[in-house]
Amino acid sequence: MKRNALVFVVLVAAILGMLAAGKYLDRTRKHGPLKMVGNVKGVQAPDFDLATLDGRRVKLSDFRGKAVLLNFWATWCPPCKIEMPWFEDMQKQYGKDGLVVLGVAMDDTEAPKIAEFAHEMGVNYQVLLGTDQVSDDYGNVQYLPTTFYVDRNGIIVDKAAGLFSREEIENDIKKILVSSYNPGTAQTSRASVVHSPAPATHAAKAAQ
Amino acid sequence: MTKRSGILATVVFSLASLGLAQAPGDKQPSVTMAPVGNVQIRAGAGTSVEMDFRVGSEFHINSHHPKADYLIPTVLKLNPPEQLTVADLKYPAGEEMAFAFSPNEKLSVYSGDFTINAVLKAPANAAAGSYPVKGELRFQACDHSACYPPRSIPVQFQVTVVKK
Repeated sequence: MKRNALVFVVLVAAILGMLAAGKYLDRTRKHGPLKMVGNVKGVQAPDFDLATLDGRRVKLSDFRGKAVLLNFWATWCPPCKIEMPWFEDMQKQYGKDGLVVLGVAMDDTEAPKIAEFAHEMGVNYQVLLGTDQVSDDYGNVQYLPTTFYVDRNGIIVDKAAGLFSREEIENDIKKILVSSYNPGTAQTSRASVVHSPAPATHAAKAAQ
Repeated sequence: MTKRSGILATVVFSLASLGLAQAPGDKQPSVTMAPVGNVQIRAGAGTSVEMDFRVGSEFHINSHHPKADYLIPTVLKLNPPEQLTVADLKYPAGEEMAFAFSPNEKLSVYSGDFTINAVLKAPANAAAGSYPVKGELRFQACDHSACYPPRSIPVQFQVTVVKK
């Protein structure tokens, strides 16, 4: 009798699993891949210290208090090109509300070529030169585009692996914009332990 | 009966778990090369070598002549030994395809199986013997919604040079 009950429970679990898988596959067919939220949602975004196209250094922690759209892309990636004009529009539309779009170029090429590409695409947001370290810190980012939505406290609210629709991107932006900045809750991430904690910059101070 | 039900439930659950585990980006693109049969060249002559490649399902790679400068072409590099030279490499034409991420821009790609022909030559004074030809195929793959960094796979086959 007990065995029958166990079998029943396992079967119910299996059916629920299949339903979930079916929903996933259906959504994937209609809209592209699902977001991989399970392993990163609610996690402190690793800090980084990356070069900009004009040779400055930028840390993620510089933007504490801002909502950050962190987009990993590459010049050889056609789907990334689709998103770039949307990000430009979002930066224009929501920049005043505290949105910062950061593009992390994962090209294995020289900065001037990336700069030329970004210029041709009309990019109006900051482009950073990606490294293996930042890729590893964010879960070995190999699938481009991949976008992390980071709230004002540096917490990853969502992750989008692959190309998503403009509407979905805008919805995710709205999710990070509604977050309120709580300086006391901001934690030190693994990466920012390795690189010494960044002093508060003008960006962070302006947001306070 | 109970034991059978348990096994059935386990199998069903495992299949369901497999379905859930397949997240975007989990499946890495693969390009594989079929073994090249015996290649024989007479000293002072040449021969064509067919190299058959297969792109993993759900993926495509740029052809040798992609339609935009920013795209990374598929390139085969062969490093023959001194006794052999690569006289020519013939790539197949790409298949022009539009994807969800580029509905208005057709890309020139390889998917499924494709073949690259190499014309190898052996000089008249080439010593008879068996020689390895090594190289690599460099490609950059995408699926229906995202792309992967360029990769290379090793290419290797054996060539036997015989006297005139």
